Amino acid sequence: MGAGFRASMNWLHTWAGVVVGAVLFAIFWMGTLSVFDREIDRWMMPETRLAPVAEPASLDRIREVAQALAGDAPSLFISLPTERQPVLGIGFRKDGEFVSRNVDPATATLLPERGTLGGTGFIFPFHFSLNIKLWSIGYWLVGLAAMAMLALLVSGVIVHVKIFADFFTLRTDKKAPRVALDLHNVTGVLGLPFHFMITLSGLIIFVLVYFPNAWQGTFPDRAGYFKEAFGSYSRPKANQPGDPMSLDALSAEAVRLWGGGTPLYLRLWHTGDANAVVEFRRSYEDRVTMNTDTLYLDAATGAVLSRQTQQPIMTAQRFLSGLHFIQFRHWTLRWIYFALGLSGCVLIATGFLFWLESRRKRHEKQGLKGLGVVEGLTIGATTGIILATLSFFIANKLLPPGMAERQSYEAWAFYLLWAAGFAHGWIRRGQAWAEQSWAIAAAALCAPVLNALITGDHLARSLSKGQWAVAGMDLALLALAAIAALTARKLQRRPATTSRAMPGRAQGSTRGSTREGRQHA
Amino acid sequence: MRDALLLAGLLVAAYAGFGLLALSQPRNWERLGRPFRPARRAVLGLRAGGAALLGLSLLLAWLRDGPSFGILLWVVGLTLGALCTVASLTYIDQTRKRRGVSRS
Repeated sequence: MGAGFRASMNWLHTWAGVVVGAVLFAIFWMGTLSVFDREIDRWMMPETRLAPVAEPASLDRIREVAQALAGDAPSLFISLPTERQPVLGIGFRKDGEFVSRNVDPATATLLPERGTLGGTGFIFPFHFSLNIKLWSIGYWLVGLAAMAMLALLVSGVIVHVKIFADFFTLRTDKKAPRVALDLHNVTGVLGLPFHFMITLSGLIIFVLVYFPNAWQGTFPDRAGYFKEAFGSYSRPKANQPGDPMSLDALSAEAVRLWGGGTPLYLRLWHTGDANAVVEFRRSYEDRVTMNTDTLYLDAATGAVLSRQTQQPIMTAQRFLSGLHFIQFRHWTLRWIYFALGLSGCVLIATGFLFWLESRRKRHEKQGLKGLGVVEGLTIGATTGIILATLSFFIANKLLPPGMAERQSYEAWAFYLLWAAGFAHGWIRRGQAWAEQSWAIAAAALCAPVLNALITGDHLARSLSKGQWAVAGMDLALLALAAIAALTARKLQRRPATTSRAMPGRAQGSTRGSTREGRQHA
Repeated sequence: MRDALLLAGLLVAAYAGFGLLALSQPRNWERLGRPFRPARRAVLGLRAGGAALLGLSLLLAWLRDGPSFGILLWVVGLTLGALCTVASLTYIDQTRKRRGVSRS
């Protein structure tokens, strides 16, 4: 391998990392939290902390509840309770907007609305769209960052001079740039299979958005693609009143046709019409592949109108999607994904730290200003987003229930704190690391205390009642508080060499401290 | 119970497998505080043993969860095992150095 090639890959790795690192950290952080998005929902929506029911209320009763709310809405959506989501969901379009409500599956009564987007409504979409809906800019930014991540992973392997010699090497007693680089190398090399798989599958999920030519060249329109890939089916209304069969009987028929497979959700099309259709989507919690098995039954007779079974290309796409979405029931994998997602966050943060620490002396000598810009960006992108997430959780507890536009205020709490994190990073530079770590510790301690005070579900109670989602969230927050406090203390104990230096920086020249250091600089 | 044992087995096999691979490198012996340069045959033996344990880990993952979940569990389990090996080496090295400093 020529030195020129490695040098060019090094340039690519360094600058692609600096340019997209902040967005990548946000995507990885939110993705890691999304592993437990439904558990975060339980923590943020106390009224949905229900004990699982063996026999949920009848679907016909749920249909009545939904129809009473939806009026003459042309279609109804009903999602069934699962282990991670112990509530039924109903949804419909009203005045052009999609309305959704949670229903207690034991009693078939509507649950009060908290007015929160929760983990599934804010954190999860942030992961893949940055919650920027305008012109799908968010999707494209995330796609660009994911492509850059793939390039970073490949170029990282090429520029890593001693990939096997340093395979197990992490020396925490060395100078700051060396420690950052060791940690960057270890998380990058050992986590490579996971990081590559998760990034590539993330891109493949949005094949429709990122590679439109693939389906536009084959199908006349989007509907044609969906018909073949996902088996979507529709028929016109008869414009005559119909007499629908029992939904429970239709659901039993779907289970029979799938040989025991259970529905995940159902949709009722043309409700009340003689040509009404009930669509059943099969659950995929027992397999990696997110199947697209769909059944369309005649609501009046139960006759099968259309039945989709997955084709090979779609199976491959849905397998890769399943690897990424982890909607399957496998707690071990869920926790390992969470841990490896955090290792991805460490990988990105240490990349930034190495960039900063290997340049600090030289830039200060040369009077360059760029370091401060990147340092503030790093602080805001890493500790800043963690703090912003905690403020989102705290706002969820402090804002009164039933307040108008409550979910918007929660989101504002996130964005304002995030912006403040960047501003604080740029103003305070080196000191901001420890200060934001202290703030994280305080906020992470505050959140479970507020949860206990406001909902009454303190740790002793949630653990004794088997509310694992709530207890797990409280324990994770307490662990974060402890880690942040230890980090802050350690940062403040380290000597600083200049008034604005990063407290974590060791004294002495970093120039020529490592071979890679020279390369990256 | 069977699942828990297989899970523990596959993670321990991944951890031990990477442990043997780490011991095939002299620099990791130094970090353990026992400078030692394994002979060529020993290096090959350690690497073969390490690879065999990683293979055993795949077998246990497959037995526990079947092909699709099993392979996924194995891939992410390997990373976890390797990270634990790194953490162990760093911990031992640091503890040894701290003790050395406090003695002197």
